[in-house]
Amino acid sequence: MEKDPSRTAPKASKDFYCGPIDYIDPLGRHLLRHVTLALSPPCLCVISGPSGSGKTSLLRAVCGLNNASVGVRRIGDTTYSPKKLPHWRTQVTLLLQDAPCLPGSIRDNLSFPFSFKNNPGRVFEPDRAMRLLKRVKLSQFHLDHQVDGLSGGERHRLALVRGLLWAPPVLLADEPLSGLEPELAQECFELLKDYARQGPNTVICVLHEERFAKQADISLRLKDGTLHRADHI
Amino acid sequence: MGHYIELTTFDLLLAVGLIVIASSISLALRLGLTRSLAIAATRCMLQLGAIGLILKKIFQINSPYLVLAWLAFMLFMASREAVRRAKSKYKGINLDALATMTFTSLTVGLLVTQVIIKVRPWYDPQYVIPIFGMIFGNSLNGICLCLDRFLEYLRSRQREVELALCFGATRQEAVLEGARQAVRTGMIPIINNMTVAGIVSLPGMMTGQIVAGASPVQAVAYQIVIMFMIAASNALGSMLFATLAARRLVSNRGIELQIGGNGNMAAKGARP
Repeated sequence: MEKDPSRTAPKASKDFYCGPIDYIDPLGRHLLRHVTLALSPPCLCVISGPSGSGKTSLLRAVCGLNNASVGVRRIGDTTYSPKKLPHWRTQVTLLLQDAPCLPGSIRDNLSFPFSFKNNPGRVFEPDRAMRLLKRVKLSQFHLDHQVDGLSGGERHRLALVRGLLWAPPVLLADEPLSGLEPELAQECFELLKDYARQGPNTVICVLHEERFAKQADISLRLKDGTLHRADHI
Repeated sequence: MGHYIELTTFDLLLAVGLIVIASSISLALRLGLTRSLAIAATRCMLQLGAIGLILKKIFQINSPYLVLAWLAFMLFMASREAVRRAKSKYKGINLDALATMTFTSLTVGLLVTQVIIKVRPWYDPQYVIPIFGMIFGNSLNGICLCLDRFLEYLRSRQREVELALCFGATRQEAVLEGARQAVRTGMIPIINNMTVAGIVSLPGMMTGQIVAGASPVQAVAYQIVIMFMIAASNALGSMLFATLAARRLVSNRGIELQIGGNGNMAAKGARP
């Protein structure tokens, strides 16, 4: 979270360390300048910042979805080389910005990650899926319901449930609450908070609303390519 | 080989009369096709004439090196044509096409000529050239369709591929569905052809053999081998091309291609 990587030396088994990250976007803007994220669970971290400041690029860089230069990716004592990106992503999973879905049923959409070769032994539990769907007010849909007709907000909630079921030690979420009415957004935010506490896990969200930043354990602001602690904390 | 009626130059001149019929229709209806028809007919005559002479020479000389050289030439032209026909292209497509066609035609061609038909000597141009030619021509079709479908998938389903990657999919897993659809598309024409073979159309090779005096049963036997051969080469070629294209276009970072206007793509490193 700070620019200086030497200040934090993660020791516990699920400490998250990623950086330093440098990224110049295709338009030539230097969006991230030597940014390092180092967080210990339980931790709910909210990142905000002006639009175009590189918040999405930061999350994508952490997951290796752009060509940013990333020094070290580490969880606890395990370091992940660029070749190990698929393994890293089973541990550090990003919920993409516009909550894409696969064609198929809700069950397909929630269970597909469990079929991947690199799945570290996690098992899809339909009962838990139903409970989570209920909490995000999607319980009117059966698991075999096709996802074609889902609205934007519904897809975001489905993506959230997918992420929570997958249960990685580090969950990244790029505007996971967009398109949700305030009460529902708060409920979903509580879910993320619980997830961080109960794991204990690390959750990093890019969110705009200040009210969420205030409820976070750590609130950061990305500006001019660097991360700062947000003022209101 | 059995008896067949040899065509003379005079017979060919008579056949030109058929083109005259087509031209007259074009003139009468003002189709504006007379010129292109004349050019096409001339090209057809010259090209086939040249091939006839070249093949005649190759048959006469009957040298394995010459046969191999001619096969290499056909292979090169076929892979170029496959790329030319593809709706969208990417950097490295030429090499991928050549590699696919080489591997596919060698595997299937050798199996058919050496194991099934048992051509002796192994390079006998009378068998080797037409059979490889048919593999080239048909796998070209298959891999073209497959590639178009695969690139279309990558273009339109980029978000889904990324979604899979986000949850730890290997890049093979992330594009598996696309590759499946692409190979399926590459296989459809030969499946259709096999389904209607003999009912809706008499396949060209079979017709040729019957005219040349082969017994219809033998002609059918050959045609069956050829159809199965094409099915195998389409399946193999489609799968290989999709795999090679995926290697180039999809990395751990996601889909590495930039979508340009009117369907042109170029592989590129950066993604926002």
